[in-house]
Amino acid sequence: MTLAFVGGTHRTVPLALRERLAFSAEQAAEALCRFRDRFPGREVVLLSTCNRVELYAAGEEAAVPPPAEQLVSFLAECRGIDAAVLAPVLARESDEAVVRHLFSVASGLDSMVLGEPQIVSQVKQAWALAQRTETAGPLTGGMFQAALRTAKRVASETALGRERLSIPSVAVADFARGVFERFDDKRVLVIGAGKMAHETLRYLREAGAHDIVVVNRTADRAHRLAARLGGRPGRFDDLVAELAAADLVVSTTGASEPVVPADLFARAESGREGRPLVVLDLAVPRDFDPAIGARPGVWLYSIDDLGAACEANRRSRHREMPGALAIVDEETRRFMGDLHHRSTAPVIERLRAGWTETGEAELDRLFRRVPSLDDAARAEIRQAFERYAAKMLHSPLASLRNESRSGPPHGLLDALKRLFDLKE
Amino acid sequence: MTEFISGISVVCFAASYFVALGCEASRPLFRSGLRGAILVGFATAGFLAHTLFLAWRAANEPNVPLSSAFDWYLLAAWLLAGGYLWLLVANPRTQVGLFLLPVVLGLVGAAQLSSRAPFPQSPATQVWGVIHGSFNLAASVAVAGGAVAGLMWLIQATRLTRKRTPAQGLRLPSLELLAATTGRAAWIAAWTAAAGFVSGLVLNAVNRQRGLLETVPWNDPVVLRMGMLVAWLIAAAIATRAFARRPEAARVAAWLSLASFVVLTASILWGVLGTTRHGVPPTQASAIREVVP
Repeated sequence: MTLAFVGGTHRTVPLALRERLAFSAEQAAEALCRFRDRFPGREVVLLSTCNRVELYAAGEEAAVPPPAEQLVSFLAECRGIDAAVLAPVLARESDEAVVRHLFSVASGLDSMVLGEPQIVSQVKQAWALAQRTETAGPLTGGMFQAALRTAKRVASETALGRERLSIPSVAVADFARGVFERFDDKRVLVIGAGKMAHETLRYLREAGAHDIVVVNRTADRAHRLAARLGGRPGRFDDLVAELAAADLVVSTTGASEPVVPADLFARAESGREGRPLVVLDLAVPRDFDPAIGARPGVWLYSIDDLGAACEANRRSRHREMPGALAIVDEETRRFMGDLHHRSTAPVIERLRAGWTETGEAELDRLFRRVPSLDDAARAEIRQAFERYAAKMLHSPLASLRNESRSGPPHGLLDALKRLFDLKE
Repeated sequence: MTEFISGISVVCFAASYFVALGCEASRPLFRSGLRGAILVGFATAGFLAHTLFLAWRAANEPNVPLSSAFDWYLLAAWLLAGGYLWLLVANPRTQVGLFLLPVVLGLVGAAQLSSRAPFPQSPATQVWGVIHGSFNLAASVAVAGGAVAGLMWLIQATRLTRKRTPAQGLRLPSLELLAATTGRAAWIAAWTAAAGFVSGLVLNAVNRQRGLLETVPWNDPVVLRMGMLVAWLIAAAIATRAFARRPEAARVAAWLSLASFVVLTASILWGVLGTTRHGVPPTQASAIREVVP
């Protein structure tokens, strides 16, 4: 075994336990140092996010990774949790399964929100921390670099992370941006104090909106909300005038009846001079009479409309899964092939050294017997020997490389050792 | 180098535009990291070949450069292709080529069907001829650009009305930008078409007065068609302005821009396929006069 993994995610570890298991950056650095001291010569990377805690260990020959149970105990000890509690909820993998898992994680295929992009930077940070604490090495380095390359391929060759999944992001990016080219010259009217108003405004501000008016039934509340949302308060009694002046409305009241019935909107419409209006009605029950959406120049989206768009995007992401998994498979095979080939390096080195040594001895004997050879002739003969050695070694080395693609080539390595009498 | 430039043909850049259109059309079908580079490569190569082809013709024209119907169609296509290339580089994720490139290829096709013989010229009326052609060219480009923007507005508005997220590879510009483009194009088309028509009348009057060249009769089909086109474009621009402060303004402007394009296409087809004394040398005009009094 060269690679080992233990870890738990939102699927297997209950939230309460996940909270206790999570590592801060400082705690992670401390844990890595402790691992280095306890298991010298082994490599380790610790990935800790709000949805997963995973330990990737690696080592070769005399310093193979510790058994999974030791890794579980190590995690439990680091976080002060009983190992017996942790053991049943943590997954364990080894070798190729570890690589496949890390590549899937980095590509967002194992995330709670399929294809979410933040995990790539979290994987990068975990690897960077391991490098800083000097617990990363060639094996984990190669594996994490390959994981980041896989994530990049999945992001560029599939549409997995393209579509947005949250209602505020879909509302702004897919609908409001479809109507308006820019937001820095638009008036945004916020009606009510619903939770989603804050998130929607965050996206609108990122898009450039800064003229924000907040109205609420109670003036005091409107002032407090405006301060919190970074806008200016308006009077609820002036709703008609505010609607006439607005370009985009975010409505999130808790009212049981429509706050903007059709007749009220008709009064506002006369003052709009034909300007288009986008209404994001995020309230349940709805704040805007649905009939308003049929008016020319009005683009009205209820929470159900936006929810349906999010669901369509989610389905679209799932349709990209086969393509993403194929990339993960391909990259896993490539990495494992390289890893297996790497294990043949000492044998190849000894084989080459043996051939070179024999060749040099024969050349020395030849040059002593024919002392009349000048330097140019000697160089020609030396080159001919080297070419001959390279050609003779080409076939066995190519066979080794091909064999490495499907697993460690133990049989071929043994045969080479015996045939060429290669000593350890 | 000269041999290379003189060897560039219409097929060279038309084929490049066609490949670019194929790349654009494949955007909704599948994703590819390579397609963007191929698209920009072929669009740039086509535009470069197009530019060199026109430059070569302009440099080797004995009289006024680019003064045949063939050249004017290719110039209009060149302006639209340049606009497309700029949009492609400035905003690569927005799908404009699928709508603009067919117009470019249509104009190249119209050029192939048109006469390459230069319009009859005399030194006295050369300036009026250039003014007449330039305004008509600007009007054609404005109508085509406005129609493309109008069509995209209608598609984008349909998507937003049906409350659907943008389809893969079919992200269009915002309604605000498209409506502004359509409105401006309507006015530019109306004014330039009117100026082109008036300058054509002046050109014809000068020719008649001085007896320089064969004059075009007032009832010539092209004169009548152009008159109707100008009247339509002015009416469309006024209607667009009249609706400006009403909620349905953008939709009306979009439909009017499409209608203007249909009228322009009919006018072009008449010019390409019909029998006229407009823009033909005196010897041919006499022959036409015998057939069509």
